[in-house]
Amino acid sequence: MSETRPGQERFVAPIDETPLRAIDAVNVDAVPENQWKEAWKRLRTSPLFWLATAILLVIALMIFFPSLFTSADPKKLDLADSFEPARKGHPFGFTEQGGDVWARTVYGARASVAVGVFTTIIVALLGIVTGAIAGFYGGIVDTLLSRFSDIFFSIPLLLACIVVISVLNNTFPDRGFWGSVLVVVVALAAFAWPQITRQMRGAVLEIKNLEFVDAATAIGASKMKNLRRHIVPNALAPVIVASTISLGVFIVAESSLSFLGLGFPSSIVSWGNDISAAQTQVRSGDNLQVMFVPAAALAFTVLGFILLGEAVREALDPKARKK
Amino acid sequence: MNTNTPLLQIDDLRVGFRAGKEILTAVDGASLTIYPGQTIAIVGESGSGKSTLAHAVIGLLPGNGTVQGGEILFEGKDIAHARKDAILALRGSSIGLVPQDPMSNLNPLWRVGAQIKEALVANGVAKGAAADKRVVELLEEAGLPDAERRARQYPHEFSGGMRQRALIAMGLAARPKLLIADEPTSALDVTVQKQILDHLDQLTDTLGVAVMLITHDLGLAAERADHLVVMYRGKIVESGPALDILQNPSHPYTKRLVSSAPSLASQRLSSQNARAEVREQAVQTAAEIAAEVADSETQFGEGVDDIVVVENLTKVFKLRGAKPWQSVDFAAVDDVSFRLRRGTTTAIVGESGSGKSTVARMVLDLLPPTSGNVLFDGHNLRELKTKAERLRLRRQMQPVFQNPYASLDPLYSIYQSIEEPLRTHSVGTKKEREAKVRDLLEKVSLPTTVMSRYPGELSGGQRQRVAIARALALDPEVVICDEAVSALDVLVQAQILELLNDLQAELGLSYLFITHDLAVVRQIADNVLVMQNGKVVESASVTEVFDNPREAYTRRLLDAIPGGSISLGA
Amino acid sequence: MWWYVGKRLLQTIPVFLGATLILFILLKLRPGDPILNLAGNKPVSQEVRDALAAQYHLDDPLFVQWIQFVKNAITFNFGETFSGQPVFDLIKQTFPVTVVLAIMALAIDAILGIGLGTIAGLRRNGWFDSSVLVVSLLLLSIPIFVVGFVMQLVFGVKLGWTSPTVGSDWSVGDLILPAVVLAIANFAYTIRLTRTSVAENLSADHVRTARAKGLSNRLVVRNHVLRNSLVPVVTYIGINLGSLMAGAIITETIFNIPGIGNAAYTAIQKGETSTVVAIVTFMVMVYVLMSLLVDLLYAVLDPRIRYV
Repeated sequence: MSETRPGQERFVAPIDETPLRAIDAVNVDAVPENQWKEAWKRLRTSPLFWLATAILLVIALMIFFPSLFTSADPKKLDLADSFEPARKGHPFGFTEQGGDVWARTVYGARASVAVGVFTTIIVALLGIVTGAIAGFYGGIVDTLLSRFSDIFFSIPLLLACIVVISVLNNTFPDRGFWGSVLVVVVALAAFAWPQITRQMRGAVLEIKNLEFVDAATAIGASKMKNLRRHIVPNALAPVIVASTISLGVFIVAESSLSFLGLGFPSSIVSWGNDISAAQTQVRSGDNLQVMFVPAAALAFTVLGFILLGEAVREALDPKARKK
Repeated sequence: MNTNTPLLQIDDLRVGFRAGKEILTAVDGASLTIYPGQTIAIVGESGSGKSTLAHAVIGLLPGNGTVQGGEILFEGKDIAHARKDAILALRGSSIGLVPQDPMSNLNPLWRVGAQIKEALVANGVAKGAAADKRVVELLEEAGLPDAERRARQYPHEFSGGMRQRALIAMGLAARPKLLIADEPTSALDVTVQKQILDHLDQLTDTLGVAVMLITHDLGLAAERADHLVVMYRGKIVESGPALDILQNPSHPYTKRLVSSAPSLASQRLSSQNARAEVREQAVQTAAEIAAEVADSETQFGEGVDDIVVVENLTKVFKLRGAKPWQSVDFAAVDDVSFRLRRGTTTAIVGESGSGKSTVARMVLDLLPPTSGNVLFDGHNLRELKTKAERLRLRRQMQPVFQNPYASLDPLYSIYQSIEEPLRTHSVGTKKEREAKVRDLLEKVSLPTTVMSRYPGELSGGQRQRVAIARALALDPEVVICDEAVSALDVLVQAQILELLNDLQAELGLSYLFITHDLAVVRQIADNVLVMQNGKVVESASVTEVFDNPREAYTRRLLDAIPGGSISLGA
Repeated sequence: MWWYVGKRLLQTIPVFLGATLILFILLKLRPGDPILNLAGNKPVSQEVRDALAAQYHLDDPLFVQWIQFVKNAITFNFGETFSGQPVFDLIKQTFPVTVVLAIMALAIDAILGIGLGTIAGLRRNGWFDSSVLVVSLLLLSIPIFVVGFVMQLVFGVKLGWTSPTVGSDWSVGDLILPAVVLAIANFAYTIRLTRTSVAENLSADHVRTARAKGLSNRLVVRNHVLRNSLVPVVTYIGINLGSLMAGAIITETIFNIPGIGNAAYTAIQKGETSTVVAIVTFMVMVYVLMSLLVDLLYAVLDPRIRYV
């Protein structure tokens, strides 16, 4: 045995200072948590989430209980009231056509939010199904579906909607509220689904190679069962985040379409229409509230959804999870 | 510098990490000394603080880590509380680092040569064309063949071993006096590991560089270093001359490590005897089961002695060739044959690319073979036509996979994960299934409160136990362990191996054990199949392979077991 | 590398064909008499009718008509507007100003977005980071045309720094405000993407190794953090072109810029669907080409892609 040098003599730590723990013991007292529960906990404590919820609650009230906000009739247009300033019962005055700015803003929430919500639902369903099939089955199915979605993806959303709606407008001139909503929703959804498909496909590709899928196959689960029970639930997180954020994007898109005259027909009360109609005001610099009240409401709503999407993303972010 | 004055002296070092408002102590009062030109090894499991200690020396603690107390004296000066630019000057030129994971530690967007050149330029060693020349010399020195061409390539074009050599070249580029090697070879195959470590030893000896080797492998540490430091939960529990510690461990933790480390344990007669006992018991139980199966009509199988027979199994994959329309045939598995006797364990050993996992998948019927036969208890897997037959096969054969973090569905509770096989096969009522799950948890020594937990809350070892419980849910006869313990810490690994042995004796199970670690094989297997590049190199009983290896490759594998050459007392 | 290029080119073709097919179908779905549509809803004689039918192949099977449509698109034969002007001439007149606008917007987006995003990423969780986050979220919520109007009002009308509208004799200076408006719409995404990318790379293993080599912080950030962070950002900016083109329609309308977006808007107002489709087809072709270029740029930036 070689000589030991100073500082390298044989050393053994006293056992009471360095007690041994049982190897790999289970912490019996901890509360059970899974991904969704953990995420919910993180959401609950996120200020972004509560802010978003507050905003969206206000909007929801506007949609379902507009009488809480105004007693005026949004559809009433009296040219005599054109550009009248604010007076009792009409806090923001009147539009060029004599409609109550505030009432129209309150009731306008329905159209925009309806478009946002229904588009998101359709896009999410389409995207999840096609993404899961493309990612799971791979090979020629994947190639075909991916090329197919690339085609739709290659036409920028707004441009595509312009064309689609131009066509549909002429095909169905008298639409009514739900008809108009349907037209816009179809136009948007038809070209927005590739985004979600890509997310879902990416997630499925990652997950299908994980060992618990093999284990399920070894147990005797069929491919379909595997997809349904194990792969899709684990792949949903990024899709949920993307969908929540895109809700806001769709509302903005609808207002842009209205601005171009392609959204709702002017008979329907919507934010986009009102903002568009008030264009000339800005140039002259007078009566700005006619544009800014609906614009503020629009921005407010979109902000609510985007904040919600942010909060959800942070809650579900795998990197933020412990370990 | 006098070789009798310490190069590095760490005195009562404490390092903590800020987590919210708390401070978690990672290193708690560590002291050690390194002399110039000397190699010392710091050994510990994950969470022992050994990496944190190393990073503290070079001043690279992550953002929320701070030195809370103590001193780090390098050449007599305290660097623990030194100014930023002083530490910067030390890095590279006085203290070098060879990090652990070669893939993530090289910038994927830069050529390898450029990254090494950076080290030269930053430390004022060379510039411009002279630096380029020096880079090639350094790569050759690190053992990289065809260095000039390789220097112009990108990291993803290198193999794991080549990348590690590049990292070594980078660490030694500015000729530091101390080289910190943080688990420099744990991500590599065992034969490559030996080559690289041998080379590193030689290089550091020639250059007179002191080495602080961080490792979890006690055998490796003892083989490569004279002085050993054992860490446990942030504290140094034992230190001293390596051989002395191995032969006479004093601290209980060291004793645990020495008795569990496969490379050392595999030397011992005691583990062989233990295995023999297990086998005897298992074979007996298995024979009883076989008799039942042979008589019964409903049980899948004939009750034959060789429960799994593999004949001329081959799997050829078509890979993309140099041009997109060309395809190249790649034989992942090439004419493999073996038999698994009931109640015994056959291990398939090989390095990466040997095809061992592919064999396991074909036996499990997760992958169709290109040619050859797999017979389970007398039935050829190819001849199973109906879904019902396949389901019955599945009940008899179950896997336990390698990655504990991916083998359980994170959204399923532990109860659901273990119950799933029962549900899929419609076994029993809900109540009966619950009782069975409890029973299984008990068998794998997990408290039943674990049932309502989720995988994210359990450790790697605990998850493997759950995976084993799930595999046993359908009362299979064969369990296929595909690197089932490779991702676990040494002590946990020993626990799981013991569990597997116990279960085998109790239930008469037959195991097909896939592993890259020949040392583990002695504790768990009776027969060994050594594979290389898809072919079977040697096939014999464990004692034969260890005592009288016939093939050169087998001997190389045995040779490469870290610490395998150290003779210990029984 | 060339195989990657070839593969991408090959992928572009079916995408382009598919897109034109969709546009063609939409065109064909327009109800009413196609001859009347072409002639601007004015009554025509039978001879003119026959001539138009022959010119536009209206009696051929749909598949042939589609092929004709594609051929026309590739040869830039987009027909005529209702006022008789060849659509391609219209495009030639109006496209340049849109290109200048888009490039300016892209530059502003890139410089500001990457710059601010990098600083936010380097000082993650500091006050700068939080305020950048908040501002970017706010910007994402406000529709581009509202931003446009506000800017026009503040800078054009009230402050008088720039002219509120641009008009047909435009100069680059006139386009600065519209370019800023256009950039703002995408800017928020760029900042956030850069920030995340930089923050992730800061704690990457290879950055720690770079520090261990003895590199100064400045060098580490420049060579290893930024370089690696830029790859996803650059590709993202390239993809942004799609929304830039869409945003251009709105911005040009607000500021009265004689660009291709404005031409499309005018055509929409007049109900000239075929012109609208022609313009959109052209823009899609440009977009597909740009995506291809961006993908190739990505291969240049990230060597791992080239050798797959």
